[in-house]
Amino acid sequence: MRFSIFRYNPERDEKPYMQAFEVDLEPTDRMLLDAILRIKDTRDDSLTLRKSCREGVCGSDAMNINGRNGLACVTPLRELREPVELRPLPSFPVIRDLVVDMTQFFKQYHSIKPYLVNDEDPPEKERPQSPQERDKLDGSYECILCACCTSQCPSSWWNPDKFVGPAGLIQAYRFIVDSRDRATQERLDDLNDPYRLFRCRTIMNCTEVCPKGLSPSRAIERIRLKMLKVDGDDGGMELHRVPPIR
Amino acid sequence: MRTTVTGLRAWLVQRVTAVYMLLFILLFLAHAIVDPPHSYPAWRAWLMNSGVSIATGVFFAALLAHAWVGVRDVIIDYVHPVALRVCLLALLGFGLAAMAAWVMRILWMLHG
Repeated sequence: MRFSIFRYNPERDEKPYMQAFEVDLEPTDRMLLDAILRIKDTRDDSLTLRKSCREGVCGSDAMNINGRNGLACVTPLRELREPVELRPLPSFPVIRDLVVDMTQFFKQYHSIKPYLVNDEDPPEKERPQSPQERDKLDGSYECILCACCTSQCPSSWWNPDKFVGPAGLIQAYRFIVDSRDRATQERLDDLNDPYRLFRCRTIMNCTEVCPKGLSPSRAIERIRLKMLKVDGDDGGMELHRVPPIR
Repeated sequence: MRTTVTGLRAWLVQRVTAVYMLLFILLFLAHAIVDPPHSYPAWRAWLMNSGVSIATGVFFAALLAHAWVGVRDVIIDYVHPVALRVCLLALLGFGLAAMAAWVMRILWMLHG
């Protein structure tokens, strides 16, 4: 199978370049990550990437695959158009090959206070939640922070330092609807400025590429309705089918 | 409460004006099809009707507000150097204000 992979080693290369690889696959190589590791094993061991769980849970092997962001470990290999073009996440600073600098991304994530804010006296055991209250978190708590959405969002490309981005915003929604959180209004006020939420132009690339089938664009819409104090649907959000990368 | 047109307010202004403009255009087209004015005096008389005059004035106010928010968003997205951004926003504001004055003058002259 043929591959064309983005290479850049800042210590050696003046400019990034695309390198062609041809590799014979074993029958057990089913996902893209298997093939990349096969290349690393048999062709060039300096090829650099992040990976960990190899089953779409840790979110560390997010990359741009034939023009679309996705997780290499859950992308079926045989459906891909050849040569398979692999690039690091668009718009993120490249550290080396397919490894990008996620500092800005996590700075935005931390800015929405991704933890429960509740100053009430802690109960003896735990803060209970009814099954209905728990259901509201469906469709947002599943985010694994792989950055596929934010890296493919034009609003994040133009203002990465000021726009929170789809990943941060779906996380913000997750805490806004959490029945145990007491900072709902502060969270909404924090997002009500020209940049943090309202740079979103509902382009919906985020929803399109989310490898977990989440809908950050719907979460953003619901945050806007909550700011307007409109009693919209705030039940759990449904997951959508993830279109296969070809 | 914020007093500037940012964030939620700007977003709301754009949606409300869009809905109003859509309704106005539909009613305008419906009138043009059902009872088209056949001469300039007939057209003028129709526009002189105070309800139509007010609705038309509100339509242009909505159009200019909509354009202000929309073009301002494009400028905020793409133009990052502060001086250039301020210049473009001032130019936009001046242009839209001139158009507002022009519309008001036309509607005023109609009644004057």
